[in-house]
Amino acid sequence: MSIDSYRFLDFATRQVMKAWASRERADVIPFTPLTKPLNECTVALVSTAGIACQGDRPFDQERERRDPWWGDPSFRVIPMGTTEADVRVCHLHIDPRFAQADLDVVLPMRRLTELAQQGVIRQAAARHYSIMGYILEPDVLVHETAPAIAERMHADGIDAAALVPA
Amino acid sequence: MIPDLTRAVGVPRLAGISYPLGRPLGSPHDHDGQRAVLRALLEVLPRATDPDTYVELPFVWPDTPAHARNESRDIPPSPIVELVMRKPWLLPNLYSGRIPRREEEVCAS
Repeated sequence: MSIDSYRFLDFATRQVMKAWASRERADVIPFTPLTKPLNECTVALVSTAGIACQGDRPFDQERERRDPWWGDPSFRVIPMGTTEADVRVCHLHIDPRFAQADLDVVLPMRRLTELAQQGVIRQAAARHYSIMGYILEPDVLVHETAPAIAERMHADGIDAAALVPA
Repeated sequence: MIPDLTRAVGVPRLAGISYPLGRPLGSPHDHDGQRAVLRALLEVLPRATDPDTYVELPFVWPDTPAHARNESRDIPPSPIVELVMRKPWLLPNLYSGRIPRREEEVCAS
């Protein structure tokens, strides 16, 4: 592998990530083959940058400050057409200013629309999603949040989704 | 972003890129760069025929890691980092993922 996973991490974060990687063991990995060409697919995006629309409830940073072992496992819907001016980036483990300057840095909805215009995909989804990426205990994420997002994607006729880590 | 960790967890298809945290698609307002990364990421989909497919994307961040980190030097540490700095005996809990009970946090080992 030529990509250095830890290249941009500070020493402490690097050590924690290496420890986590060494103790994980992959279970059975679900896989559904793509049954149509990419240029016939409707595509949705999921960002872990903790993006919430201004009118929506923000991710709970106060609770994380009170209990640093906890991370908000909920999700938010981000409609196509939402820009950096319309959202808050609620993530205490990344520098949110890049996403605040240009939301496509973490949730590239405009770039996805351009790829649809170029015929690379058929269509960009009407609804995209964000979760907040610091979650040490993933039970709620796995058993509640992920199925809720999948249900909405299914309703929207999504053929494929890309999860973009922040 | 940290493909070692994601591969250890196991996902259907993974595109690896070595970009700084907070900027997975690239720099703000670099539309061409962002679109190239997104396109390369999506093009993994039709290429993958089996689970655990891993493709390394051919993009190189145009700056040093030190400079990239320096751009965010004024961002305060996260609550968990602050906690472990104040109570370093909790660091093994962070490494192992074993969340301590509240009474464990207040007692030094």
